Amino acid sequence: MTTTPDETKETAALAAFTEVVRDGVGPHTPAELDQGLNSLYARIAAGRAQRWGLWRWSLVGVTALLCAVVGLHAASDYRKRLRVSVPPALTYHIEGGSVIEGGYLRESGHQGIKLLFNEGSKLVLMPGTRGRLRAVAPEGTRIAIDQGTAAFQVTPSSDRRWLVEVGPFLVKVKGTVFTVAWDPPSEHFELRLRHGRVVVSGPVSGGDIVLRAGQRLVVSLASAETLITDEKPEDDIAEPAGAPASSAPPAPALRPPVPRDKSAGVSPSNAKPEGERGWADKLANGHWDRILSDVERTGVKAALDEAGSEDLFALANAARYRRRTDLARAALLAERRRFPASTHALDALFLLGRVEEFGERGTARAIAWYDEYLARAPAGAYAAEALGRKMTLTNELGGSAEARPIADEYLRRFPRGGYARSARALVRGP
Amino acid sequence: MPTRRSHVPLTLVIARDRSDASDGDLAQGLVADEGWAIAETWRRFAPMVLAMAERALGSRSEADDLGQEVFYHVFRKAKTLRAPDRLRSFVYSFAVRELKSELRRKRLRAWLSFRQPEALVDMGSGTLDVEARDHLRRCHALLDRLSPRDRLVFVLRRMESMTVEEIASTMQLSVSTVKRSMIHASERLSRWIVADPGLADLLDAERWGR
Repeated sequence: MTTTPDETKETAALAAFTEVVRDGVGPHTPAELDQGLNSLYARIAAGRAQRWGLWRWSLVGVTALLCAVVGLHAASDYRKRLRVSVPPALTYHIEGGSVIEGGYLRESGHQGIKLLFNEGSKLVLMPGTRGRLRAVAPEGTRIAIDQGTAAFQVTPSSDRRWLVEVGPFLVKVKGTVFTVAWDPPSEHFELRLRHGRVVVSGPVSGGDIVLRAGQRLVVSLASAETLITDEKPEDDIAEPAGAPASSAPPAPALRPPVPRDKSAGVSPSNAKPEGERGWADKLANGHWDRILSDVERTGVKAALDEAGSEDLFALANAARYRRRTDLARAALLAERRRFPASTHALDALFLLGRVEEFGERGTARAIAWYDEYLARAPAGAYAAEALGRKMTLTNELGGSAEARPIADEYLRRFPRGGYARSARALVRGP
Repeated sequence: MPTRRSHVPLTLVIARDRSDASDGDLAQGLVADEGWAIAETWRRFAPMVLAMAERALGSRSEADDLGQEVFYHVFRKAKTLRAPDRLRSFVYSFAVRELKSELRRKRLRAWLSFRQPEALVDMGSGTLDVEARDHLRRCHALLDRLSPRDRLVFVLRRMESMTVEEIASTMQLSVSTVKRSMIHASERLSRWIVADPGLADLLDAERWGR
């Protein structure tokens, strides 16, 4: 490859340029190098000191940070403890009795005992009831009912826990209004839950039983029977019969149970109306066989013609529980015929539907009873149940196409009802 | 007052001459933080680093500062040297990296001050006469106009006689990039020299005995 004169000139000029720059730099003298080395030593020493200083300050910083974290944790822990201890000590005021050694609640008269707690909870022991105050602590209260009936109104609290020992049963409570009863001779347990939620554990349940508001649990250890029934909401408020008047504001939701036997005492306010046979009490106690025995003894016709409204309704239920379909139907029809204006007359419509479901080819008749109930009591206590049963039976009888409109109506009226899941399945289709 | 004499025998210990230590031994001495290794590393590589820096920067004082920076980092990072025999390359790579950074800083300073950096030729206690200093100042003024990368490639190739591959390895560039950079620098310098009649005359081959 040849180069033009200009390129030669450029190359020569560049070479000369390079030479000027390269040769313009003289070597460092030994003294300069030694001076540089000394400077380097000084810098290395300073760097080490600086690094050690940084390390030391980092150590101090980390230690301070750790101390701060530990301090914050301790402070948080302390605050938590303070918070835990924030709830004031639980105190109570007792009326109609006293607490003696071992927490035993001794009745001073014959009017029952009332305990009023400073956080609003209230406990009423019916006359003759024997109970013990096992523990009263900021974390909660533990009460034992050895015999008799007690009504509780527990103020909801996330910090406090209420435990009620009822014979061999244990009721765990949180913010609830309920009555509980235990009769040791007959080994009969009963719990009526008006508000809230309780968990009952005991020898028969075979595990914890969760009760919702409006449910009643009856356990008879002697006959190994456990019954959970839904009750209509009861709006009336009453102090326990014969219970002493309280200086505190009245418990709005406290309601005593119906006395079960003579030992519980009968006051004029809850004496049986004339003509009543006590079947309602027997039913509440789970003694439905005794009701049926009474009917057999006196005769079915006499029972249907002479028993009062409450007794007839109790008889109908006892017959239903024992699958005496004919007797149950007859009692419910008698209820409607003889006491057409009573609330039980409306309820009888629903229960007639339930009775018909037991019999063969009773599905259509059951649907008809449910329809009549829904027409007469669209907002009745059993409206949701009646519509749900109607939907189920219609699905069985006529298929999902017929049941789907009922499911739609159910979801519209009772979106959280017990049949809501089935209704949604029907609406979604196969 | 009686003087108490010690009967412990004393021996004068003379430090070993480590100038014949290999680069590998030197690197291991640095890793072990031995004092002799620091001194020997400085004596062995500082002249080369300082000269290269001076040629690239055009200032002895700046080269001295850069040399301090380079060796300080070499000693601090000696433990990261995986192949002790490659200590020379290790030092070179630090020097080139520092040079590149310094050239960029200089260019940035010039850009921020909205003026071209004045080529101050500081050749220490050299014996250059006034005319030679002027030549050198004008040459460095041209070098200042190159980009840091082109300038460094040019200095390493033409003044330090490094191969293209060595430059590429030290500057972590591809060989083709180094070649392009070299051509670019040469062309521009040549053009600028020709465009400057005074400098072209001074660099006339005959005058410089070429």
